[in-house]
Amino acid sequence: MNINKTVNATELTVALEGRLDTATAPALEAELNQSLAGITKLVLDFSALEYLSSAGLRVLLSAQKAMNKQGEMIVKNVNETISEIFEVTGFCDVLTIE
Amino acid sequence: MNKKKQNISAAFRRWLLVLVVIAFLATTAFLWVSQTKISQNNAVSLLKLNISDVREDIIDASDENLLKLTHQIADDLNNAPAITSDLLKELTAKYDVTEINHINADGIIVASTYPDFLNYDMRSGEQSAEFAVLLSGETEYIQSYQPVSYDASIYRKYGGVTLEGGGFVQVGYGAQRFQKDIDEFVVGVTRNRHVGEGGSIIIVDENWNIVSDRYGNEGKNLDVTGLWIDTAETAENQAFVAEVYGKTCYCMHQVTEGYRIVAVMPRSEAALSRNVSVGVTTIMQIIVFAALFILIFVLVKKLVVDNIYKVNDSLSSITQGNLDTVVDVRSHTEFDALSDDINSTVNTLKKYISEAEARIDAELAFAKAIQHSALPSVFPPYPNRKDFDISATMHTAKEVGGDFYDFYFVDDDTLAFLVADVSGKGIPAAMFMMTSKALLKSYAESGMSVEEVFTVANEKLCEGNDAGMFVTAWMGLLNTKTGLITFANAGHNPPLVKHADSSFTYLKSKPGFVLAGMEGIRYRKNEYQLNKGDVIYLYTDGVTEATNENNELYGESRLLDVLCANAGCDTQTICDAVKADVDLFVGEAPQFDDITMLCLRFNGEDDK
Repeated sequence: MNINKTVNATELTVALEGRLDTATAPALEAELNQSLAGITKLVLDFSALEYLSSAGLRVLLSAQKAMNKQGEMIVKNVNETISEIFEVTGFCDVLTIE
Repeated sequence: MNKKKQNISAAFRRWLLVLVVIAFLATTAFLWVSQTKISQNNAVSLLKLNISDVREDIIDASDENLLKLTHQIADDLNNAPAITSDLLKELTAKYDVTEINHINADGIIVASTYPDFLNYDMRSGEQSAEFAVLLSGETEYIQSYQPVSYDASIYRKYGGVTLEGGGFVQVGYGAQRFQKDIDEFVVGVTRNRHVGEGGSIIIVDENWNIVSDRYGNEGKNLDVTGLWIDTAETAENQAFVAEVYGKTCYCMHQVTEGYRIVAVMPRSEAALSRNVSVGVTTIMQIIVFAALFILIFVLVKKLVVDNIYKVNDSLSSITQGNLDTVVDVRSHTEFDALSDDINSTVNTLKKYISEAEARIDAELAFAKAIQHSALPSVFPPYPNRKDFDISATMHTAKEVGGDFYDFYFVDDDTLAFLVADVSGKGIPAAMFMMTSKALLKSYAESGMSVEEVFTVANEKLCEGNDAGMFVTAWMGLLNTKTGLITFANAGHNPPLVKHADSSFTYLKSKPGFVLAGMEGIRYRKNEYQLNKGDVIYLYTDGVTEATNENNELYGESRLLDVLCANAGCDTQTICDAVKADVDLFVGEAPQFDDITMLCLRFNGEDDK
């Protein structure tokens, strides 16, 4: 999985590419842990994300919890498969999906 | 840290090169100095040799000249009736010599062209005493050109020949007299003589006029050659450097028979031999040093560097996890020791790892036993109940897993059943699974409705969930009399239900959020009426996301196919059939996720 970060003042955009699963989720978690300080808007771009497992959902959830305290988090460009996962797991009610 | 590291062979090559260059320069410099000295000595020897040759020739020629005259005079005297001073004067004029003396058998001058010499005892002067040999057996004697005994300022050459009447005649003349006779000869012996290649002999007379010279300057003063010999400064037979005919030369001079022999040799010619010698040796040295350099470099590379790379290759194989790799570089004792040390280190490491593995394996096996014993595992669980039939299986990807199923009666007519999936796998998921399972069961058994169970359990699970774990769950309460299911869904994939026509459809409902994900979630209750013979099949995504060797997912359509094919069977058979179909599809590919399913058939009261 590739993680591409773009910082614009207090807005951080993270574009994910590939599979976000048990193997790759720790990398994203570590990346977010060290990048979220001072960020008021976190945008996750899923346009190139192919697969999302429960381990990936866990990272999204902890990011959402962190951003609840300091601003907002937006998930955008979600494809149909992943959108279905969000539906089934109820994540669509918790995340802000555009 | 920023300094770029060199490899050993490059460092070695550099230092070896520096050393070789220094050695080369040192030996070349030494050779240059020693060869310069040798070439000078050679030049001096050559000059001496030539001077000595020419000197011998000149002495031979002048000796021969005087001896011939002396014999002629002795013949005249032998034929004369008496030897008188007047006769001697006549002969002096006849042969153009300077003086003639007649010495008797006692060594006393009895007749002379110089009246002063009469009655002079030959033995009384050092130079004249040499002629005494003629009184003791010798018949002729020649003396070199030198100062005479009675007056050291007069130079003269004397010859003596014994007379028939006893005693001997002594004839003497000055240099100018005999030089007149032998100049031509002198020119002959010196003009074509070469000292080395470009050097030559110059002969001058007592007045520094050239007698013989390679360039035909006879009769002219020595000045024309550019050479100026200061006899006070430069002794005879001692080399000195001067300009001769425009060239810097090594020069040497010596006086003999009134001539001054000067040998000259261009310094460049002397240097030539040195240059050739140094040049040839330098080329040889370059070849030898280059060979040495290549030999040492290749040896070091072959013996040390290559072996280090071999050891490194084995080591990198070991660090990549292949602990069975053996380092086997046995070319030298040092590498022997290194190989043995590495191998014994790896062996010790392997021993510790296998011990640790055995311990972890034992603990995991124990944990697996605990986890499985926490789930209902005896089927059929209610052999006396004919109104429903339930079966469930769980196959973990690792020893322990995060999936679980459960079922139990919460009151006489209500069977609770659920399937859940904890995020992640392995020990963390298993621990969270045990907590979740226990919480759900205790709240369900307290008589809460299904949505209340989820709402309360969610609050409890959120407490102290620092690791951010969560669990998806689908839980239903079946009224075994009516077939009505009340259920709640916490982010789990919907179950499949079989209808009277043997078709399966998803039991869709709006799912609530996952359990333990976020506090304050309220879950909704849903209802579904099972008819007699209906089957409900719950599963985790480990079933549909099982992956084969081509990275294809098992998928929902395959699941529906196998369910439809076995729709009429008992629940145990359905679960086994699905698992068998998944295994067939997956083949040799490794299992990534836990595979869990629960199947419930409602038969209704009539069959009781």
